[in-house]
Amino acid sequence: MTSLKRSFASDPSAPNLSSKVYVRSTRSGKVQKIVRELYLRQDIPCSSRLCSICLENAPRDYNNKVSPFVLSDTPTGTESFPNGHYLIPDTNAFLTGMDLFEVETAFQDVIILQTVLEEVKNRSLPLYHRLISLTKNEDKRFFVFFNEFRLETYVARDQGESINDRNDRAVRKAVQWYSGHLQEAVKARGKSIRCPSVVMISDDKDNLRKAKAENLDALSLPDYVSGLKDADQLLDMVSAGKEQRENKSAKNELFYPKYYSLSKMITGVKAGTMHQGIFNVSQYNYLEGSVHVPAFDKPLLVLGRENSNRAVSGDIVVVEVLPKDQWKAPSSKIIEEETLNKNDNAEVEDGEAVITERERRALQEEVKRVQGQSIEGRPQPTARVVGIIKRNWRQYVGHIDKDSVKSTSKQSRSQQTVFLVPMDKRIPKIRVRTRQAGELLGKRVLVTIDSWDRDSRYPVGHFVRSLGELESKGAETEALLLEFDVQYRPFPKTVLDCLPVEGHDWKVPESLADLGWNGRKDLRDLLVCSIDPPGCVDIDDALHARPLSNGNFEVGVHIADVSHFVKPNNAMDKEASMRGTTVYLVDKRIDMLPMLLGTDLCSLKPYVERYAFSVLWEITSNADIVSSNFTKSVIRSREAFSYEQAQIRIDDNSQQDDLTTGMRTLLMLSKKLRQKRMDAGALNLASPEVKVQTESETSDPVDVQTKQLLDTNSLVEEFMLLANISVAGKIYEAFPQTALLRRHAAPPKTNFEELGNQLKIKRGMELRTESSKALADSLDTCVDPSEPFFNTLVRIMATRCMMSAEYFCSGTQAYPEFRHYGLASEIYTHFTSPIRRYADLEAHRQLAAAIDYERLDPSLHSKAKLEAVCKNINVRHRNAQMAGRASIEYYVGQALKGRVIDEEGFVMKIFSNGFVVFVPRFGIESLIRLRDLGTPEPEAVFDAENYVLTVTGSRDAKVELFQKVKVRISDEQEESTGKRKIKLALL
Amino acid sequence: MAPIQTAQVLLSPAELSYLHSSLSLSPPIRPDGRTPTQFRPLVAESDILPGANGSARICFADGTEAIVGVKAEVEKSQWRPTSGEQRRRSIAAVDVMDGEDDSGDTSKSKGMGQDSWVEMSIEIPGFRDDDSLPIFLSSMLTEALLASGELKDKLYINRRFHWKLYIDILLLSPPLSYPLPLLSLTTHLALLSTRLPALKSEQDEDPLFDDDWAASNHLFRRSDPKHSSNNHTEKPPVTLLVIAVGQNIIFDPSKEELAVAEAVLAISCATSHMPSTNPVRLLSIRTIDLPSRLTPPGIPNSMNSATGGNAPISSTDAMAQREALNLSGVWTPPRGGIKRGLIGRILKMAVEKGGVAEEVLEALEKVDVDG
Repeated sequence: MTSLKRSFASDPSAPNLSSKVYVRSTRSGKVQKIVRELYLRQDIPCSSRLCSICLENAPRDYNNKVSPFVLSDTPTGTESFPNGHYLIPDTNAFLTGMDLFEVETAFQDVIILQTVLEEVKNRSLPLYHRLISLTKNEDKRFFVFFNEFRLETYVARDQGESINDRNDRAVRKAVQWYSGHLQEAVKARGKSIRCPSVVMISDDKDNLRKAKAENLDALSLPDYVSGLKDADQLLDMVSAGKEQRENKSAKNELFYPKYYSLSKMITGVKAGTMHQGIFNVSQYNYLEGSVHVPAFDKPLLVLGRENSNRAVSGDIVVVEVLPKDQWKAPSSKIIEEETLNKNDNAEVEDGEAVITERERRALQEEVKRVQGQSIEGRPQPTARVVGIIKRNWRQYVGHIDKDSVKSTSKQSRSQQTVFLVPMDKRIPKIRVRTRQAGELLGKRVLVTIDSWDRDSRYPVGHFVRSLGELESKGAETEALLLEFDVQYRPFPKTVLDCLPVEGHDWKVPESLADLGWNGRKDLRDLLVCSIDPPGCVDIDDALHARPLSNGNFEVGVHIADVSHFVKPNNAMDKEASMRGTTVYLVDKRIDMLPMLLGTDLCSLKPYVERYAFSVLWEITSNADIVSSNFTKSVIRSREAFSYEQAQIRIDDNSQQDDLTTGMRTLLMLSKKLRQKRMDAGALNLASPEVKVQTESETSDPVDVQTKQLLDTNSLVEEFMLLANISVAGKIYEAFPQTALLRRHAAPPKTNFEELGNQLKIKRGMELRTESSKALADSLDTCVDPSEPFFNTLVRIMATRCMMSAEYFCSGTQAYPEFRHYGLASEIYTHFTSPIRRYADLEAHRQLAAAIDYERLDPSLHSKAKLEAVCKNINVRHRNAQMAGRASIEYYVGQALKGRVIDEEGFVMKIFSNGFVVFVPRFGIESLIRLRDLGTPEPEAVFDAENYVLTVTGSRDAKVELFQKVKVRISDEQEESTGKRKIKLALL
Repeated sequence: MAPIQTAQVLLSPAELSYLHSSLSLSPPIRPDGRTPTQFRPLVAESDILPGANGSARICFADGTEAIVGVKAEVEKSQWRPTSGEQRRRSIAAVDVMDGEDDSGDTSKSKGMGQDSWVEMSIEIPGFRDDDSLPIFLSSMLTEALLASGELKDKLYINRRFHWKLYIDILLLSPPLSYPLPLLSLTTHLALLSTRLPALKSEQDEDPLFDDDWAASNHLFRRSDPKHSSNNHTEKPPVTLLVIAVGQNIIFDPSKEELAVAEAVLAISCATSHMPSTNPVRLLSIRTIDLPSRLTPPGIPNSMNSATGGNAPISSTDAMAQREALNLSGVWTPPRGGIKRGLIGRILKMAVEKGGVAEEVLEALEKVDVDG
């Protein structure tokens, strides 16, 4: 028997043909062998401005142009590379040093190999996106070279070679080709040009050694950086590398259990024995986390460090429910990291335990307390984290724990490990190695977490940059924006290019024949006015009302026509959709759209003609809607009122002009509309709103006031709600699958359990929660005649039990789920503030298509795309709210700085070792711990059933829930976060 | 068994008689000059289809050629009621995540395989897929593959999942000779080159596989030249076609030889577990209907009107007349069964150490499957 094997090498097309073989597992569980053919090319340019050969060969686009070459012909040099150099980093260099590559002053002329780019993408998506945005930065001159498609640099995998080895070889091959290619290019130029070196950056010792053997220039990242200026600062930005971690060697005990394998978790989650959810850490107790999983109504508790097993707040984790004997009640005690673990040493790893003795004691007390208790104290299922599906680590703002710094002299350049205490209390301390500890003390610092290994009690991270002095306004504001992921950089040029060329001189065209007038109604004759907070420059909405001959009224709500200026899918639209919303801080506004549009062209300023999108109703004097009509229009606002001005004008009986009577009509109708809404079960909820008065020049806060509500506030609100509801109905009718709507889910009953119980025990009141109507009614009965604020307090607490409203795409929910619980409306959307909310802009586009004004952009037809948009704007919306609140908090702190005020407050929440007091005058709530009451820390007996804390010892007091207390407000710099914070003391 | 439906060889009774008598000599003289155990020369290559898990092509010197592709898919196993010990194990499997299990990798899958996990389809030009030849061939080949139980056990992933193997056999040429040996050898070669993605998950988890194809494992473990201790290669079974003429046993018969065979056997063999003493073990034997029975017998003078005899009026008449004849004449199709002793000898020749089966298996292994 003879056999013969045909060799593939004899294939004539072999040299430029190759294939890639891999295994793909599909979502449905299929496993496929995939073979991709690869055609190798020789016309992929090197993109160096030195090279003329590639310029000739490079493929041309439709306009017969070659895309411009990126890499400089005179790259910067260093000591070791005097002729200038191009960098070719390998994957690990990017993974460990991405922050370095983003530095403005160094790391230019970098060639990103396709091999490396793909590997980075596989390893970390966020880093990949950062790398891609680097390639778009023209000053940095980063070039993506498709080495896998170029014949000369393609590397076939050898028999038995691991993928990593093969990729390393591909990188070396590319380095080799580049240096040879550049030498040729320089020779071809003939003139005496310096030929730049091509330097490979790698942290892999083996790879470096092989590169040396092949006579290539290769350096490790630290070696390369130490040859640059500011090496110390730059070196801090390298991730805590593998080497460092390896140095610690195996002698260390492992503190945390190992994670389960991915497949084990997936199987477990599918089988229902494990649960997946987002890990949240309690604001009050850093050792108590919770994971809300679809399988249960109430979140699962994760207690203690060992159970939370290296999960950081925000991570998507998989948990396993613990046996029943380990179930516990949620904490009624405040546990703060800095008080328990003050004396940890960042440098020393030995003798570290996952749970320090103090932590253990704190938990023990918990357990003791929990036993034999009713409703609130009933043990709840607890769980432990067994694995992490996705880390949601971001950059964290914090400050350096000064106790962890050994040598504070600024001259000392020795590297030391310090703790960074994040501003966000839910994030654990981060261990950072730095050479500039002395300098960074007392500064706001930005860091990232690199890893959290089983043998380290705290995560390990690295320094990114310093934001400035603690408590300086610039640093604190930036810190806030970073913490809430608010995009605050100025708009890039591509966005500004989308603005109308006329700039501020843009006007509504005079001739009605102009394209802009197509399909637009001329409503310039209507007596339209706008009512906004004082000083408002981005006027979204204006109103009018006039009597009709049949006794009914015509009411119009006119909204700035932003969609006329922001066309779908251009750079400005993309930027706006990413920002999602305008963020209002006390002294600053971070716009969603460029100023030109927001405060001028779109803003419905008085006395000028503006494009608008109008909703016109015929309404009876009983506020029943006869008909509604939607149209694009041109309006001319007669006046821009502030709420107060409008109120004064309405109340002034001497004013009898048409505009004022129109406003009176609006007010009359709005009151009836409001009554109807309330009858339908809309909730009147409260959140503490205060206003910081700032000195106009310096914008230093001088006073804090609670916001006053006037009738005109609710006038505007009612008609905006009406417009939103009308529009929601219209776009849902037109696009039942893809309308962008807003819903507010009914809160699960369990949310109100605690509040209901508290009201029952303390005041004998009943909170009924079976419907929003019942809730609204029962909230109305929660009145304490002696204490007018009590009702508001209950409303504030009830608000916190609610779900948050969210944007959604109509195709993803069933119609009954559309309901807006708080407004008691079947359907709702956001339409009235397109200047500051992206959702409104999308609603405008859908409405315009629904009335056949223009064609709908395909992106608004796609459920998947809309869902992505909704997801983003929901997050942005929440972040913007939190950033706004945090900003107010900061300014309230600044306004009260150095002052001591005695005020009335109410007890909102009681723990076994402290309680929370809310001060309505400033809208602040703050914790008063037992140890704040006196030294030594007084003893206390906590009656959890009756919500009473009886303090004895150095201070005698009895604190009850809802109790009115006198507190002394002063300010204090919080040691843990470096924030200036209000401190309350019980009087 | 079903008759062989290959194109009838057109040989005269005299030619048949000549063939028969030369094959009956000792040693036999085969028309193409081969020794009794020699196979026809063939061209073989494996791993020719990049998209399949395994593939092979074999072309015999007589122009018959076949391609086999093997595809594997992950399938959810059906729940099977188990008894006793097994039931307890499967209850333990409900809480899937109970630490470490036993170390044995092969022992766990032993006996877990099911016949339905291997599916074979054969396509022969000129035949519908429900014709008897393709069905007969595929059932014979599948039977051999499943007989040892080894192959199906290899497809076991865990209690909840298994691989399903699709073996697609395509005969490229018309079936000039009986294609069984060709198809069997090609299937063998394709299975030898078959690789399955490497499993990353453990125990009864939803299977998760390494996306690196280079990390995939051969379905049949290859002998490792570096470790001489582990030089034993597992191999898929092969099915050999053997004929007997007189006392002679002839392997890999050509179509002419088949036409005069007195017995035709299909023998399926696989490597045994004791390579040192007895490298090959027998899996199954099937007798196949003799194609020679359909050959035209010589017509004796007494039945030939041209030579003064009486031509029979009907076929039953002819049969009766033939039975009465004493002289067999030029060519009489063989009749009757095979003697026990002969079967014994055939099996011995095939299976014994250094026998034909071992030789074939070794030769096929030399076809480089990794290229």
